[in-house]
Amino acid sequence: MNLTDRSESQAGSELGWALAALAVSPMALGGAWVRADHGPVRDQWLAFLKDKVTPCVRVPFNVDDERLLGGLDLTASLAHGTSVWHPGLLTQAEQGVVILPMAERLDASVLARILQAQERDTESLPARFGVVALDESLEDERTLPSSFAERLGLWLDLRQLSPHDEIFTDFDAADIAHARAHWLQLTLSDAQWLAICQTAQALGVDSLRAPQMTARLARILAALQARSTVEDHDVVRAIQWVISPRATVLPQNPSEEAAPPEPAPPEPTPPDPQDAEQQDNNDSENTAPPTELPPLEDVVLAAAIAALPDKLLDRLTLNPQGLRGAGSQGARGVQRHSVHRGRPLPPRPGRPHQGARLHVLATLRSAIPRQKLRTPPKHGALLALRPDDFHCHHYAQQSATCLIFAVDASGSAAVQRLAEAKGAVELLLNQSYARRDWVCVLAFRAGQAQVLLPPTRSLVRAKRALSGLPAGGGTPLASGLKLALEVATQQARQGVTPLLVVLSDGRANVNLQGMGGREEAQKDAHALAQACAQQRLSSLWLDTSMQPDPLAKQWANLMQARYLPMPYAQSERMADAMRHVVSGMRS
Amino acid sequence: MASTFPFSAIVGQEDMILAIQIVAVDPSVGGVLVLGDRGTGKSTAVRGLADLLPPLKVVAGCPYGCDPAKTAGVCAQCSAASQGKPKVETRPVPVVDLPLGASEDRVVGALDLEKALSQGVKSFAPGLLAQANRGFLYIDEVNLLEDHLVDLLIDVAASGENLVEREGLSVRHPARFVLVGSGNPEEGELRPQLLDRFGLSVEVKTPQALDLRVEVVRRRDAFERDPQAFRQKWEAANEAQRKKIVAARKRLPNLDLDDEMLHLCAALCQRLGTDGLRAELTLMRSLRALAALNGKAKVTRQDLQRVAPLVLRHRLRRNPLDDTGSDARVQRALQEVVGS
Repeated sequence: MNLTDRSESQAGSELGWALAALAVSPMALGGAWVRADHGPVRDQWLAFLKDKVTPCVRVPFNVDDERLLGGLDLTASLAHGTSVWHPGLLTQAEQGVVILPMAERLDASVLARILQAQERDTESLPARFGVVALDESLEDERTLPSSFAERLGLWLDLRQLSPHDEIFTDFDAADIAHARAHWLQLTLSDAQWLAICQTAQALGVDSLRAPQMTARLARILAALQARSTVEDHDVVRAIQWVISPRATVLPQNPSEEAAPPEPAPPEPTPPDPQDAEQQDNNDSENTAPPTELPPLEDVVLAAAIAALPDKLLDRLTLNPQGLRGAGSQGARGVQRHSVHRGRPLPPRPGRPHQGARLHVLATLRSAIPRQKLRTPPKHGALLALRPDDFHCHHYAQQSATCLIFAVDASGSAAVQRLAEAKGAVELLLNQSYARRDWVCVLAFRAGQAQVLLPPTRSLVRAKRALSGLPAGGGTPLASGLKLALEVATQQARQGVTPLLVVLSDGRANVNLQGMGGREEAQKDAHALAQACAQQRLSSLWLDTSMQPDPLAKQWANLMQARYLPMPYAQSERMADAMRHVVSGMRS
Repeated sequence: MASTFPFSAIVGQEDMILAIQIVAVDPSVGGVLVLGDRGTGKSTAVRGLADLLPPLKVVAGCPYGCDPAKTAGVCAQCSAASQGKPKVETRPVPVVDLPLGASEDRVVGALDLEKALSQGVKSFAPGLLAQANRGFLYIDEVNLLEDHLVDLLIDVAASGENLVEREGLSVRHPARFVLVGSGNPEEGELRPQLLDRFGLSVEVKTPQALDLRVEVVRRRDAFERDPQAFRQKWEAANEAQRKKIVAARKRLPNLDLDDEMLHLCAALCQRLGTDGLRAELTLMRSLRALAALNGKAKVTRQDLQRVAPLVLRHRLRRNPLDDTGSDARVQRALQEVVGS
């Protein structure tokens, strides 16, 4: 079974299949996570979706709770003198799908509302609408929170598709209607269930929602083709769509396992569940001889691996701990000035929008003095209210802070100094734990800079990232600053205040391209230090050289960073100093 | 709710099942913190249990679901009207979801805008805390909850009463609920103060045995295909479970720990250096609840060994950077104090 050689048109056909399956029951599959840039491919896909699924309700990025869930229409109520209610968008989406453009930027509260509505009175069965989350995030940006993505059955990536590819399917409305009526009656065999669960386990997909979705999808696929049994290839296809994209680990040496070392066990295929169990207990001998068909779960696993996207494989091999929780690492942006929560501020004039609540007292207070000027209200009301009178609640909220540590792990920042720097960072983390800051650790050494730990609140992970930090090589200061600046801008965009702490001796000798040469390196670093200053990034430079070095001080000045020389510092003293400076920067 | 997955049909997750049964028998144990993977049936278990519990008797029409048999700890209307015999209705045990981005208004309640505008009446629209009274408040991803909500919950969970002073309202109503929080510690940590409010904590993992996994998924599937039939099939088991919990509740007031057991609890907590006395109290209560559940008249050392990890593992004073398992520490202390 060779599934790696997909021709382009096949990708289009697969998407067509996926769409048809989604159209059969958006609720059973939960919906789709569609990663695509804005462009013709996505438009084509959406047009296709609207053609197959009704209703399709688009929920704008800045939707407020009232519009989403329904509520009192204030302006209309005032005009009519009675309460006018309007239904929410989610109610309108009954039996169809909700489309969320820019889902990656949606506020956590909106996502939570949608999830809750979906799981409302039944926690499992017909959530009565599906969700299509359009995600435009770039490679290293925050994407959907994993708790949300997990509930969307299909994970589609339209970015591999070229605009010339046609998305097509042979299924028409009648096929879809037929499948809708029949898919629930189809059953899976024991071996198929086992294969699904086994593949999920082998690929490190822990959530048991995934196997459930796979089973539903397999049935829907069979029903679409008007079959009364679920065939193995339905299961294989469903696994490729649901489980493969969720993979967090590569299965342990599949090629090794596939090599047939022993003569054939007497049992012939097809495998029954007991057979499979035996294989499970007996790992080294679990292969069928080459002459026979391999057991279903092996086929399925091979197919699932083939369907893993290349980039994912790269990431998996780079990151042996898997992608667990990666989706929610981006901090939820916290607004500094909020209409929802925080310490109350005086009410301000303005119509309730974006979830702001009407401040009734202030609204009345503003209306009362103007009563004589206004025509007396109809309907026997006591007060003539105008929309201009509306006042809303406002709250002040403390914004979250993210400490970005850029650690110089080059050979010139001698090893014992690095150990001290690590100690200082750890101590500071201890304090930041109390403050509930976010922490992010970058390291630069030998030609490149890398993010050791994306912004997180988990200090155990921060510590782990630091303790595994190797040292040696040149000092790519420019790359380090560049990365730090990128992370900082990303954080700032999400409403988190970034604070940069650079730990380095400033002896830059590797340029942005990773080539040695002091002069070039200094030039690049110079440009980036200025960029940091231009972005008004609050920063702190900890000089890790043995003696306070005018060079490091010069960098700090260039970045408009505070400079702290740390000759022979103990890490406690260093952390103490950092704490003072950092708290100074905060205020 | 016709389509809740039956509690008795849940496969595995013994710790979590035990913990929520304990709090169902004795809500004063406090909440349950469930840490671990997604899609492991956390919310299924909570909903299943609430569905299984006998419905509550409440004062008819009371938005807070006050207990008609009680006079203390009820809302203002019910305590004012307590002279006569109030009308009684039954309601299922509430399970209220607290969504991650919830606004304070929705959680604590706020001025009822519609009434204020249309009738000119100043009245209070109860929030989620009111709905959760005498039931469960379920918070998914509690570790990502915003600090201001956490503070609020800590206060209410400790006092069992929600005090609203805002928008010209001054309302006080009972809010006694079992807090069930879930989350993945890799994504953020909980403040120690909130941790301490949870009586029990359990760690859940997706079952690693393949046949268990298959069983979980298949049961779920059978349920989805025909919820009614599936529930029918499990009704007997659910009924037995219900009786067990109801009997345990009756038995609870007559159970007491002997001095030796109390000493063991105290020694254990001392050995582990837990802060305050809440650990001892919770340990004592959960021991009683466990014995009651098992239909025993006396608390045994085995009970202590079973319950101590649930009660203590999240209360150990720890260096946030030290990742040695707290389970191991609790086990070691158990070994030393209780003996094997």
